[in-house]
Amino acid sequence: MSALLEVDDLHKHYRLRGRGWWGQRSVVRAVDGVTLRLERGEALGLVGESGCGKSTLARTLLGLETPDGGSIRFEGRSIDEVEPRWLQRRVQMVFQDPYTTLPPHMSIRRIIAEPLIIHGLAKGDELQRRVDALIADVGLPAAVADRRPRQLSGGQRQRVGIARALALEPSLLIADEAVSALDVSVQAQILNLLRELQERLGLALLFVSHDIGVVTHVSQRIAVMYLGKVVETGPALDVYADPLHPYTRVLMDSVPDPTRRGRDRMRARGDPPDPKDPPSGCAFHPRCPIAVDRCRDEVPLLEDWRPEQHAACHLALEPLDGADTNEVDRSAT
Amino acid sequence: MSGGIVSDRTAASEAAGGDGVGLLQQLRQRKAGLVGLSGIAVLLIVAVAAPWLAPHDPASQDLGNVLLPPVWAGGELTYPFGTDAIGRDVLSRLIYGARSSVLISVCAMLLGGTLGVLTGLASGFYGRLVDTVLMRLGDIQLALPFILIAIVILGMMRDRSPIHLILVLGIPAWIVYARVVRSRVLSEREQAYVSAARSLGASNLRQMFRYVLPPASKVVPPIALIDLSHLVIMESTLSFLGFGLTSPSISWGQILADGRQNMIASPWLPVLPGLAIMLTVLTINLAVEGLRDDGTPRRRRRRSDRKAADADRAAAPARLPGREVSIDGGAGGDRDGDGDPRASADDVQGRDGDGDGDLGVRRNGGGGGQAQPLLAVEDLEVEFDTPTGVVEAVRGVSFTVERGRILGIVGESGSGKSVTSFAIMGLLGEQGHVTGGSITFDGTDLTRAPEAVMRGIRGPRIGMMFQNPVGSLNPVLTVGYQIVETLRVNRGMDRATARQVAEEAFGTVGFPDPRHVMRQYPFRLSGGQNQRVMIAMTMALGPDLLLADEPTTALDVTTQAEVIDQLLQVREEHGTGIVLISHDIGLIGEVADEVVVMYAGQVCERGPTETVLNDPGHPYTRALLGAVPQPGAPEAQLAAIPGELPSAQQPLVGCPFADRCDHVMEVCSRRDPALLPLAEDHDVACYLHHEPAAPEQVATR
Ligand SMILES: Nc1ncnc2c1ncn2[C@@H]1O[C@H](COP(=O)(O)OP(=O)(O)OP(=O)(O)O)[C@@H](O)[C@H]1O
Ligand code: SF4
Ligand code: SF4
Ligand SMILES: [Mg+2]
Repeated sequence: MSALLEVDDLHKHYRLRGRGWWGQRSVVRAVDGVTLRLERGEALGLVGESGCGKSTLARTLLGLETPDGGSIRFEGRSIDEVEPRWLQRRVQMVFQDPYTTLPPHMSIRRIIAEPLIIHGLAKGDELQRRVDALIADVGLPAAVADRRPRQLSGGQRQRVGIARALALEPSLLIADEAVSALDVSVQAQILNLLRELQERLGLALLFVSHDIGVVTHVSQRIAVMYLGKVVETGPALDVYADPLHPYTRVLMDSVPDPTRRGRDRMRARGDPPDPKDPPSGCAFHPRCPIAVDRCRDEVPLLEDWRPEQHAACHLALEPLDGADTNEVDRSAT
Repeated sequence: MSGGIVSDRTAASEAAGGDGVGLLQQLRQRKAGLVGLSGIAVLLIVAVAAPWLAPHDPASQDLGNVLLPPVWAGGELTYPFGTDAIGRDVLSRLIYGARSSVLISVCAMLLGGTLGVLTGLASGFYGRLVDTVLMRLGDIQLALPFILIAIVILGMMRDRSPIHLILVLGIPAWIVYARVVRSRVLSEREQAYVSAARSLGASNLRQMFRYVLPPASKVVPPIALIDLSHLVIMESTLSFLGFGLTSPSISWGQILADGRQNMIASPWLPVLPGLAIMLTVLTINLAVEGLRDDGTPRRRRRRSDRKAADADRAAAPARLPGREVSIDGGAGGDRDGDGDPRASADDVQGRDGDGDGDLGVRRNGGGGGQAQPLLAVEDLEVEFDTPTGVVEAVRGVSFTVERGRILGIVGESGSGKSVTSFAIMGLLGEQGHVTGGSITFDGTDLTRAPEAVMRGIRGPRIGMMFQNPVGSLNPVLTVGYQIVETLRVNRGMDRATARQVAEEAFGTVGFPDPRHVMRQYPFRLSGGQNQRVMIAMTMALGPDLLLADEPTTALDVTTQAEVIDQLLQVREEHGTGIVLISHDIGLIGEVADEVVVMYAGQVCERGPTETVLNDPGHPYTRALLGAVPQPGAPEAQLAAIPGELPSAQQPLVGCPFADRCDHVMEVCSRRDPALLPLAEDHDVACYLHHEPAAPEQVATR
C-alpha cells in the first residue's frame, strides 16, 4: 500500500519583478526540490526559520499553490489529477493565527458548520449534531457555539480552528505554526489536544513550526528546512539527540533554555540570506560555524549517514559539541 | 507652585469628567442619532400613510378659499397650513409631497446602494480587469455634470413616473458606494479567514457573499444616509426646475415652485415646502452623526482636553485616601522630544514656570550610585475605562530595577505586563489611568510627572522596544533618516554628528554595512533587522533604562537569539537597566537576573531567576515551567494549565489562580494571598507558604 503522502522533488518558485519599470525579474525558489513521505497516522514535524519555505510547502500540499516541478501523490493519486474537493476532504489545515483566520461575523456554530455545508455533507439536525460533536471533540464547552470569535480566548479560537479542520474528517491535518501565537500554558493545551486527536482518529499530522522544541515534542519524525530545501530528516528523538547538520544544531541551541544559562551555544552568523540570491554551494555556508572551503562550491546532497537519519552536509559526521564549535568558529572567522 | 495648584483644581473638577468629555460626547452623538433615526421613521410613515393622514385630497380645489393663510397666521382649522392659489390644502399637498420626495429618494438610494455594493464587491474581489473597467467607468461618470444630464434625459420624457426618477437618480449613485465598498473589500479579501475559507473549498461567490461582504458592508449605512440627503435635494431640485414627476403627482420641489408665484401675497407657500426639505436633510444628517460613533473614528481630542487628561493623570495619586497631596507641577522642563512647536509653546505657557525642571529631574540622576534603585514600581494599579466597564489591568504590582541589571517580567497574555510598561512610559492613552501606587524613576515619580517632563524622559532616559518593530517605525521614511532625526531632536546634534553616531550605533548591533542599511525603508528589512534597528535607535539616545516588551516574539528563534545577544551586550557596555517582558519563561530564565511572575495584574512570585526557576514557590510558576515542551520526552503529556486567566473586568475575590490551581484550598477562594517572603529576596503570594491553616498541603510541597 502506498504512503498517505508522497512528495517527490517538489519545486515552487515565485517570480518577482524588481524595482522600476524595467526592474530585473528575479526568482525565489521557495520550495526547491523537497522530497517527503508521510505514512497514515504519522506525525511529521517540519521546522525552519521564517521564509525557508515551510508555509509554501504546506500551501502547495493543500492545493492552494500549483507546483512548478515534481509531484505530490496523495493516497497514491497525483494531485494534478484529482478534483480540488477530493483533496480538500482529505487534507485540511489549522492556521497560525486564531485571531484572523476565523470570520468575525459568524457564530462558532456556523464557522464549524461551513465545511460541512460547502461539501454538502450534512444538513438540518444532522448538521447541528455533527457540529456539537466537533465542539465537544476539541474540548470546548457547548456554550461557545453561539458566540462570535471575538468573545473567545486565543486558545478557544484555536480549538475552533481545529474543529473546523476536522469537520471534513481529513486523513491529513496540516498545522502551520498552529501554536506559535499562543501562550505557553495554552500552547500546551493545544499540543496535547493535537496529539490526542492524532492518536484517537488515526490522523496524519504535518506539524509546521519554527520552534524545534515544540516540533520534536509532537512529531515522530522531523524534517529541517533551510532555504527551500530539506537539510536534515529523521526520527525526532535521534535528530534531537544527535543532529547531523549544523543548522539543526543552531536551531536547537537557539531555543531559550534556562539550564543553558551562561554556556556557549552554537549560533548562526549573520542574517538569513536573501532568498532571491541564494549562496553558492551549501546555502548555509555563509552562516555555518564549521564551514570549509569545499562548502562554498559543492552542493551537499541529502544522504543517509545513519539508518533513517539523512542530512545534506559535507561534514555531517563531524562532532558538533559546544567546545569544538567555538574553536572552529574562531578559526573560521 | 501656582501652576500646580491650578492644574490640580482643573483636575479635580475635570477628573471626574476626564473621560466625561468622551462620554458626554458619545451620549450627545447617540441622542442626535436617535433623534435623526426616529425623524426618518416618522418621514417614512408619513410617506407611506399619506392617503390616510392627509385631511383633504391634494388635488381638490376649493375655489372659495384660495390663498388662505395657515392657522397661526389667522387661518381656519379646516386648512391648518392654508391653501394655495387654486384653493388646494397645503398640508395635504405637503404630505403627498413627502410621499414622492421621500419614497423616490429612498428607492433611488436602495437602487444605487445595491448596484454600488455589488460592483464594489466584484471590483475589489476579482481585481484586475473587472476592477479597472468598473473604476474607470466610475471616473468617467464623475467627470460628467450629473444634473445637466439628468435634465436632458428627463426632459425628453413626456410622462415622468416615479420609476423614471428613481432610475435617473439611483443609477448614478452606485459609484459612491462602489468606491468605498471596493476599498474595504480589497483589505477584507486579504484577511486570513478568506483564504481559510478557500482551503475549505468555498466557491468564489460564497467567499464574496458570506465572508467578504458582511464585514465590508459595515461602511455602507452612513454612506447610504449621506447619499439619501443628497438625493432628497436632487429630487427637489429637479422637480423645482420642472423635470420632476408630471402632475397629478406632486413633490416638494414642485410645491415650492408653485408657491413662488404667490410669494408676495402668501409667503408661507414657498416657505413650508422649503422647510420640509431642509428639515428632512437635517434629520438625515443627525442620523449620520449617530451612526458615526462606532464606525468612523472620532475627531482627535483637542489640545485642552489632552492637558486636562495630563493633569488628571498627574493628580491621580493625590485622589487616593491617605496619600499626601503634592503635585510635581513645577518640574515641567521641556526637553520636548517630539519636535512639535505648538506643543512646546503650549507647555511653556501652561505650566513651565521656571524652566529648570529638566535639571531638577536630572539632578537625582547624577547621584545614581547610592542605594536608590533606578526604577522602583510600588503597588501600581492601572484601570481602563471601556464601554463595557472598568478593566482592572494592573492590581498592585511592585518591583525594582537596578542599573545594569535585567528584570524579567513573565506571565500570560492579558496578565498586565504591557500595561505596566505603558504606565511607566506614561503612555496609557485616554482611557487608562494610574489609580494607585507610584513609579519612581531616578527620584522622580512618573505617575505625577506632567507630560512635558515625560517627553523629556521617554526616549533619552527610558528607551522602549515593542513587539512589532515594523509597526513602531515609520514606513515611508528610511531607517537612517528616522534615527538621525531622533538624535537631532532629542540630543540636539547637528546632522553630520547625528549621522556619525547613527552609523556607529548600527555597527554595534551587528550590521556589517551600516550605511547601506540606513538607506533602507523598514519594509525592506527583515523582522530581525528591524528589531536591531530599533535597538540601535533606542540605544543611540543612551537611555538609563530600557523597556523591552516582547522584543523577540515576532522573530525567528535564530534571530531572537541574536537580538538577545545584542541586548546583553548593550547592558554590558552601557550599564543600562533592562526590563524584559516576555511570555516565554525559557527566555526570561536564560537572560534575566531577577524575575517577576505576573498573573491577573498581580505579582504572584518574585525573586532571583535561578531561585524562582529551580525552586518555584507558586503553583502558577511551576505550571508555567511544566508547560514548556521538552523535546527529549515526546511521549509525555505536557502539563497544560486548564482554564484561563480570570476576567480583568470582574473584581478579584480570593487568589486569582484558584480556578486553575491543583492545590486550591478552602481559604484560597475567600482571601487574596499577600506577596510575602519565602526566603531572602524571594516572595510568593500563595497560601501554601503563608497560611498555617493548611499544614498538610504545605507538607506535600
Ligand atoms: N487600552 C485598553 N483598554 C482597555 N483594556 C485594556 C487596554 N489595554 C489593555 N487592557 C487590558 O488590560 C489587561 C492587561 O493587558 P496587557 O496588555 O498588559 O497584558 P500583557 O500581559 O502585556 O499580555 P500580552 O502577553 O498579550 O502582551 C488585559 O485584560 C487587557 O485586556
Ligand atoms: S556543507 Fe559545509 S557549510 Fe553546509 S552545513 Fe555542512 S559544513 Fe556547513
Ligand atoms: S493561594 Fe491557593 S489557589 Fe492560589 S496559588 Fe496558592 S494554593 Fe493555589
Ligand atoms: Mg503585552
